[in-house]
Amino acid sequence: MSRSRRILATTRAGWHSFLRRRTAVFFTFFFPAIIVVIFGLLVETQPTDGGLFTEPVGWYIAGYLAVIVLFTPLSRVGSEVARHRSGSQFEKLATTPLARWEWLLAQTVVNTVVIGLASILLLGLLFGATGAGVAVSAELLLVVPFVGIGVALFCAVGAILGSIVDSQDGVIAASNGIAVPLVFLSEAFVQPDLLPGWLPLELSPLTYFTRGVRALTYTEAAGGLPPSLDLLILSVFAVVAFVIAAVLLPQTD
Amino acid sequence: MDVLVAEDVFRQYGETVAVDGVSLAVGAGEIVALVGPNGAGKTTLVRALTGTTEAEGHVELFGKPPRDADRERIGLLPQSFDPPARLTARELVEYYGGLYDDARDTDELLADVGMTDRADVYYENLSGGQQRRTCVATALINDPDLLVVDEPTTGIDPAGRRQLWRLLTDLADAGTTVFLTTHYMAEARELAERVGLLADGQLVALDTPERLIETYGGETLLYVDGEFPDDVTTLLDQETTVDDGRLTVRNVAPEEIGEITRTLDAAAVSYDSLTWTEPDLEDVYLELTGQSVTADGRRTEVRR
Repeated sequence: MSRSRRILATTRAGWHSFLRRRTAVFFTFFFPAIIVVIFGLLVETQPTDGGLFTEPVGWYIAGYLAVIVLFTPLSRVGSEVARHRSGSQFEKLATTPLARWEWLLAQTVVNTVVIGLASILLLGLLFGATGAGVAVSAELLLVVPFVGIGVALFCAVGAILGSIVDSQDGVIAASNGIAVPLVFLSEAFVQPDLLPGWLPLELSPLTYFTRGVRALTYTEAAGGLPPSLDLLILSVFAVVAFVIAAVLLPQTD
Repeated sequence: MDVLVAEDVFRQYGETVAVDGVSLAVGAGEIVALVGPNGAGKTTLVRALTGTTEAEGHVELFGKPPRDADRERIGLLPQSFDPPARLTARELVEYYGGLYDDARDTDELLADVGMTDRADVYYENLSGGQQRRTCVATALINDPDLLVVDEPTTGIDPAGRRQLWRLLTDLADAGTTVFLTTHYMAEARELAERVGLLADGQLVALDTPERLIETYGGETLLYVDGEFPDDVTTLLDQETTVDDGRLTVRNVAPEEIGEITRTLDAAAVSYDSLTWTEPDLEDVYLELTGQSVTADGRRTEVRR
């Protein structure tokens, strides 16, 4: 009871704190919109024999989702940790009953809701503006846990960055330095046959997100692991990252 | 039983020794204030005592290491505390209250710190003093048995400061142990049963304000301003000096002032004014920290 009370209080504070930062809210929801406008409408996809953006539009749904699942939690939680550090908030929290993992869980809940809403917006724009569609089935519901676990994973990675890098500027630079390569090396927008064969794409947790979500949203997806197995592997990454983040979150100066 | 015990606490950052072998004990319901110059190690000591820095030595809160102590019983206000943004004063206090099993009533606490009228204003839109009062409330929300506050009244106006003093005194009367740091000597004198002086990371004195003043405060002084004959210093029994139109008489008890004026009058010595001063905690601070202020207001270090 007291644990849920602590997590609820921290979630509520984090939710209000985020929703009232108008710039942060605007750009969180502007981000998926601009991605769809740039890639879905301006660049467009041209099915041909090869090259970038040559797959049918449905192939990229997983990529669009991967971008918002990756970028926003990574930079938001990383910045939040840096802000907490500079404001001595962890110093105070260390003397309260709130455990570090409880704090991280609360941040994850806030980000999951925010990214869930942003994902709905993105899919709506995508379907409305580009003519993309998905085959509706019960299995399609697996996209929800994919997004939730993906957000949890990158919240944890953001928390790790925020714990290691000691400034907000540094965290943002580091999160961009990690996120941009991941997007292009995790089958989000670049087909694996365009990349050197020796690249270990399986080491990127985002690969399991894009593969799993693609298998659920794009009926022509080439055979691979069952989506549930991708989800399991993504979950393992998320649990490991969460534990590392909970240990690394600062308790002292 | 002592609520807070520290033995030989030592903390170093690189080559800089921030806290150097500090030992102290604070009993239940006691208020202990720590004063010292900027950079003396006060905040580092607070962190060491609350387990929020890795320090050598031994620290116990309620008989346990700080990290194992019952956190429901501890209230902390860090010195440079900046709580989550875009929350009102009320929401901030409610947030921290939600972290404890048993929390005080938010509105009652906001009234105690004088924030009722500004309770629904975003923290960042409050004045510095109102922000600090809100932060104090976040440290009190769990009705702690041990309250550790690092410069709690910095930026608060005199009326607000006195309101917080009364609040802290009432808490101590009700059994709360209070450990605070401050730059205000009046605050230490008003609140604390014992005052510790920290200089260069070392606790150079820890005692009641009265005993500190008696031991380290120096002499009472009577200043007589006027124009004096050369032999004026021979008129009085006390040690006297004359410098630039000011006669300084040392170690004068208040009841001796009348006798001194009668002696001067009898010798037809005219004077414009009399000023009597007794040492206070500030003199103790300046004496023990090796600092003094020159006549033109410059601060100097006096290493003994």
